[in-house]
Amino acid sequence: MFTTLKIVFIAVVDTGLDLEISFNHLLQGIGLPSSIAHLLWLPLPMLLVLTASLIGVLVTVWLERKISAAAQQRIGPEYAGALGILQPVADGLKLLVKEDIIPKKADSLLFTLGPILVLIPVILSWLIVPFGQNLLISNVGIGIFLWIALSSIQPIGLLMSGYASNNKYSLLGGLRAAAQSISYEIPLALAVLAVVMMSNSLSTVDIVNQQNTAGLLSWNIFRQPVGFLIFWICALAECERLPFDLPEAEEELVAGYQTEYAGMKFALFYLGSYINLILSSLLVSVLYLGGWGFPIPIDLITHSLGQSPNAPVIQIIAATIGIIMTVFKTYLLVFLAILLRWTTPRVRIDQLLDLGWKFLLPISLVNLLFTAALKLAFPIAFGG
Amino acid sequence: MVTFFQKAAEYAQDAISAGKYLLQGLAVTFDHMRRRPITVQYPYEKLIPSERYRGRIHYEFDKCIACEVCVRVCPINLPVVDWVMNKETKKKELRNYSIDFGVCIFCGNCVEYCPTNCLSMTEEYELAAFDRHNLNFDNVALGRLPTNVTTDPSVIALKELAYLPQGVMDPHELEKDSSRAGKLPSEVLIKTIDNDTASIGEKTQ
Amino acid sequence: MTISTSTELICFLILSSVIVSGGLGVVLIENIVYSAFLLGGVFMSVAGLYLLLNASFVAAAQVLVYVGAVNVLILFAIMLVNKKEVMKPIKGLKLRKFFSGCVCAGLLALLFRVNIITNWATPGPQAIGEIATERIGEHLFTDYLLPFELASVLLLMAMIGAIVLARRDVISIELETTKSIQENIINNSTDNVLLNQSND
Repeated sequence: MFTTLKIVFIAVVDTGLDLEISFNHLLQGIGLPSSIAHLLWLPLPMLLVLTASLIGVLVTVWLERKISAAAQQRIGPEYAGALGILQPVADGLKLLVKEDIIPKKADSLLFTLGPILVLIPVILSWLIVPFGQNLLISNVGIGIFLWIALSSIQPIGLLMSGYASNNKYSLLGGLRAAAQSISYEIPLALAVLAVVMMSNSLSTVDIVNQQNTAGLLSWNIFRQPVGFLIFWICALAECERLPFDLPEAEEELVAGYQTEYAGMKFALFYLGSYINLILSSLLVSVLYLGGWGFPIPIDLITHSLGQSPNAPVIQIIAATIGIIMTVFKTYLLVFLAILLRWTTPRVRIDQLLDLGWKFLLPISLVNLLFTAALKLAFPIAFGG
Repeated sequence: MVTFFQKAAEYAQDAISAGKYLLQGLAVTFDHMRRRPITVQYPYEKLIPSERYRGRIHYEFDKCIACEVCVRVCPINLPVVDWVMNKETKKKELRNYSIDFGVCIFCGNCVEYCPTNCLSMTEEYELAAFDRHNLNFDNVALGRLPTNVTTDPSVIALKELAYLPQGVMDPHELEKDSSRAGKLPSEVLIKTIDNDTASIGEKTQ
Repeated sequence: MTISTSTELICFLILSSVIVSGGLGVVLIENIVYSAFLLGGVFMSVAGLYLLLNASFVAAAQVLVYVGAVNVLILFAIMLVNKKEVMKPIKGLKLRKFFSGCVCAGLLALLFRVNIITNWATPGPQAIGEIATERIGEHLFTDYLLPFELASVLLLMAMIGAIVLARRDVISIELETTKSIQENIINNSTDNVLLNQSND
């Protein structure tokens, strides 16, 4: 056991903090072939990220309730655990044991398939979210493009559930969701494109690395302020958060495509929308707020302390700080989203489409051209 | 071309001002977050109803002369006055009296016009029942006194906004002897009496 | 057979069976909404095949364009005009079905012939993987610039055509009267409708 630990330690020192290699070394130390070690490794990060996202949802639901209450001078959940911290768990349990209703004249196959199709792409998109240099499931080359592609599957699920419910409100909600999601995908993609143009890579890891050359000052938010705003507005629209929550506008559509859903199927929608919110916040922090980067570069701190940045202790501390920074930035954005929810009234459908097509789209195109021009003019500052 | 640039500039100004207003709104919401919650946690905390609160009607059987004024002034002739004429004494004898609070609109006309003041408004407002027929109160039920919010040991009584001191919005953790904004009626009366006597004094001089 | 090749084979078999059965479903199922959803499934499986071929950018583009845009728009159109229509009985439907079936079978036979006759180079060219994105961009802006731009012009034309067709109510008045709509409004307001009626 001691020798395996030693091997792990050496692996950590050699490769930086790459958990996969150290895990493989550990299992090979026990006496397993490397292919089986690899197979055993594969599901681990996925499970970890799935759990992390679910816990993130619980935290976000609690925050949403508490912050909403505070903004309205209420108390919010109080009795379920200290400060109501177990309230989301209680909500989840309630939804879990509720009767699973399928309306008699609904299309039961599509009705069941809809919420699944909404949730799966959102969870799949966590594939590319980095919490550190090696702390992501897969550093695929198409990186951020994968997220854009996957998020375009979601409207099909919404349309499916809207249609299958056999309810006019559901159908209208589904159609609205699809229209909204298609129109805001374009400015979103253009805003991402401007960032990608500066980092010369679609990979999220490269995008973050390119922002962390000079700490806080090199974050993309200062180079792409307009892009940041466009991305944030579009992300809110994609998540159906409040200024843009037309698909489930209570006053007109009861609950939109969720109207006929109850129990676990409704919980899937609920989960999907919150995971999507966290994911969008994570991607904003990755694309514009320097991801796992600390406002002061870690290298600078280690140099001033006279330590080598490759020392294992420093590596572990840096990775921890990275995770904390990512989560902190993400929840700052979640907080902003909740605050916006109680500040802005819902837009009308024509205003929504006007904003998407007549404002955000031209602005994001101009932003893209401007970024290209700046990249040619100042290749040092804008990624040559 | 110039008009195009003018339009673009106007558009940009509009966008900027929209952003400014949005930030202003966010600041308001953010500011609200540091204020204390004004929630009254109902079954455990209750507001003290105001002095003229029109709650469930209280009725005293012994005072009633069965004149049926309450029935006549009631918008829907709701009170049921069940009396018989006693031939020997040539007086009405009241047998039963009831008001259905599932139908009553608590306008208070009956209380206003009752010649013997046997009807009065209480502070009770918790009339929920599982069966609407339970809301038909007979003279016994009408004669019961409600539990007072201030005397109920299981309830924390809170003052309503109008009864709080000046500038205070939150009824929780009030100082013990704090009184409402403005003067009490007795204080106002003393002052006017003083003024009156003073003015009378001036006149006599 | 190693683990990776066997998983690849299994994935390939699943994806191709989904594509074939999904494609048949799109054509054969009566309910048009089901057909549209199945079409989405077929597009997804094609994206899966691209992934198996190590062409992740093409796969993502397939999902974005075909599933996210084309299929959603098809669904949109179907759901906006979801009228239950009784089709008129067509004369000689069986004969027509037979002929179209023959044409399709002929095309299938042609495909099989091509498939058998062509000398496929196995293993095919090495997949370039991660740098595929860059390579596609390079090609689009050098050798294939003209077709690329032509395609964009074509799409623009299609879009304008669609707008003209959809907003005929606005445009047709101008075409017929050769006066702008605003002029019409001014003319209408000048002749006094109410007064004329009272005179009659």
